Amino acid sequence: MRETIIQGMTQAYENLVHMVADFLPRFVVMFAIILVGLLLAFLLRYFLRLVLHPTRLDRISEEAGASHVLRRAALPPMTELLSRALFWVTLLGFVLLGISVLGIAELQEQISRLFQLLPQLFVAILVLFVGVLAANFLSRAALLATVNAGYRSPRLWSIAIRSAILILAISMALEQVGLARQTVVAAFSIVFGAVMFALALAFGLGGKDLARQTLERYLGDKKEKEKEVEPSPL
Amino acid sequence: MAEEFLLSDDFLRQLMSVGEVDLLVGIPSHNNAATIGRVVETIEQTFQRGFPRERVVIINVDGGSTDGTSDILKNAAVQRSSGSRGLTSLRTERRIVTRYGSAPSSGIAFRTLLAAADLLRAKACAVISPDASNLTEAWVGHLLEPIYKQNFDFVAPLYCRHKYDGLLARNLLYPMGRAVFGKRLREFHASDLGFSGRLASHCLNQDAWRESPVEAAPETWMAVTSLASDFRCCQSFLGPKAQSTTASATDIVAVVRQIVGALFWSLESQESVWIGRVGSEPIPTFGPDHELESNGMRVNRERIFELFRSGVSELSPILKSILAADTEAEIQRVAAQDEQNFRFDHALWTRTLCDFAAAYHHSVLNRDHVVQALVPLYRGRIYSFLSQHQDSSADEIEADSEKLCLEFERQKPYLVEKWKVRSEVKP
Repeated sequence: MRETIIQGMTQAYENLVHMVADFLPRFVVMFAIILVGLLLAFLLRYFLRLVLHPTRLDRISEEAGASHVLRRAALPPMTELLSRALFWVTLLGFVLLGISVLGIAELQEQISRLFQLLPQLFVAILVLFVGVLAANFLSRAALLATVNAGYRSPRLWSIAIRSAILILAISMALEQVGLARQTVVAAFSIVFGAVMFALALAFGLGGKDLARQTLERYLGDKKEKEKEVEPSPL
Repeated sequence: MAEEFLLSDDFLRQLMSVGEVDLLVGIPSHNNAATIGRVVETIEQTFQRGFPRERVVIINVDGGSTDGTSDILKNAAVQRSSGSRGLTSLRTERRIVTRYGSAPSSGIAFRTLLAAADLLRAKACAVISPDASNLTEAWVGHLLEPIYKQNFDFVAPLYCRHKYDGLLARNLLYPMGRAVFGKRLREFHASDLGFSGRLASHCLNQDAWRESPVEAAPETWMAVTSLASDFRCCQSFLGPKAQSTTASATDIVAVVRQIVGALFWSLESQESVWIGRVGSEPIPTFGPDHELESNGMRVNRERIFELFRSGVSELSPILKSILAADTEAEIQRVAAQDEQNFRFDHALWTRTLCDFAAAYHHSVLNRDHVVQALVPLYRGRIYSFLSQHQDSSADEIEADSEKLCLEFERQKPYLVEKWKVRSEVKP
């Protein structure tokens, strides 16, 4: 009985020693990998800042309205954002690589899934970001154009354009990460169809006056109109 | 210089057949069949009467006309005037036609003319608008003579205008250009102008041609370049300018985008030149420096005011990101006034333009959007001008313009301050 207990404990101790002996080097390797990753991430961030600073990226981002979006989201300027993103992506990659060295089967499976998802996630974020930029830029362009041309409800045009682009970008991003793919497609189709139907109804019911005014403008007494002009700027 | 990338082989062959010239007159065109024949005849007559012994050439740079503009120019009759002197009958009249594309582009047309002037070693050049329906021999002579005979490098035109015409020049280009560059050049953007071969070569060798503001308004850029680079500039009175026909809302937006965009861009490219200049000095002027007429012209003032007011209201978030807080608040206050009491005064207009120029420089938004956002405010200023000068005489209008110019000069330190330091970004 006593011997069995001692044997069991010895076995357990040996197993523990064996496990520690097996695990410790892997743990050290993991730390080494993470340390190398940290160093590399710092270096890459430094070099990217060095490369991006002389370019006009921040100005281009400012002009495109991207900086405005970033500020509203309490994010740093574009150059800094990209540098930091590279830092964290590099570090995360090395951390995951380090963890995989530990050889824990369940963890490895999760990590492998995460690695597979990363590019899709990155593309989805990129799609979303470009979508937000395009929505901002085009809605502002539409607002300026409609205001300066003297159209009615310029803000409605601007909001409609922004919403359409954002809906498209969000649905594309969600599809990219494979999240509820069918639901997204169905929701997009329904929303888009509803918007078009609403527009058709609105135009049909509310556009009578507009159509009359437009026809009058083109077919009416032009001579009378030409008597009153906006003075020439040149 | 990159004219081998710019000029077609056929055009180069035509230029080589001409050799060197003393005078070059360029006509950029696009579907101007109705007027170009008379324009070219007038230019020929100017050559016969005023420059009988000089080697001359007329160059038409066409942007894809479909109405036979270039053919009309080529075939326009040369009328030997009875008053012509010298051996004009022995002289070959040179007319060169080149086509650069299927759509008009001021930048390409202007650059082609400069390249031709450079290759032909022209001493004096003039660009004449193809729709100058009231062009006279004196116009062409007045643009060429100061360069050819008095060694000036740039000649800006002065016109006799209706008091409601040229309001962008009167309210923005002249006062701002004068305060910034310190020279009293009235027409920063002119479709008729004169320049020396030296200035043509200088401009041709600049790296600015790819910039969209230069492509859109090369005339404005040349005027600024000549002032900033200390070329000898002058102004020459040409006479009455054909009254512009209806300026639709779109035209005004396009004009403001092109010309104000070019001016703001030029401020940036010539920053080192103007930032330290104080006050302004007159430049040599041939003929009267202003002449206004006030025959009947009905202007739809209510529509202008409506566009101003709706613009200020709808673009409020955009204006907030461009203007200083006090300027924006003041604009909102004046926009709330009724039409009768509305005034967009000199001080507010000047401060507004300084804020816009600085916002353009700092790219607080897309630069084209910054310039477009100015359009409603320009309309407000124009409404104020029209209301104030409904019954004013030419002298009263001129005195008021001078006040605006002085206000710009007074507020130049504000522009410099805004230009140098980017204000804190508003959420």
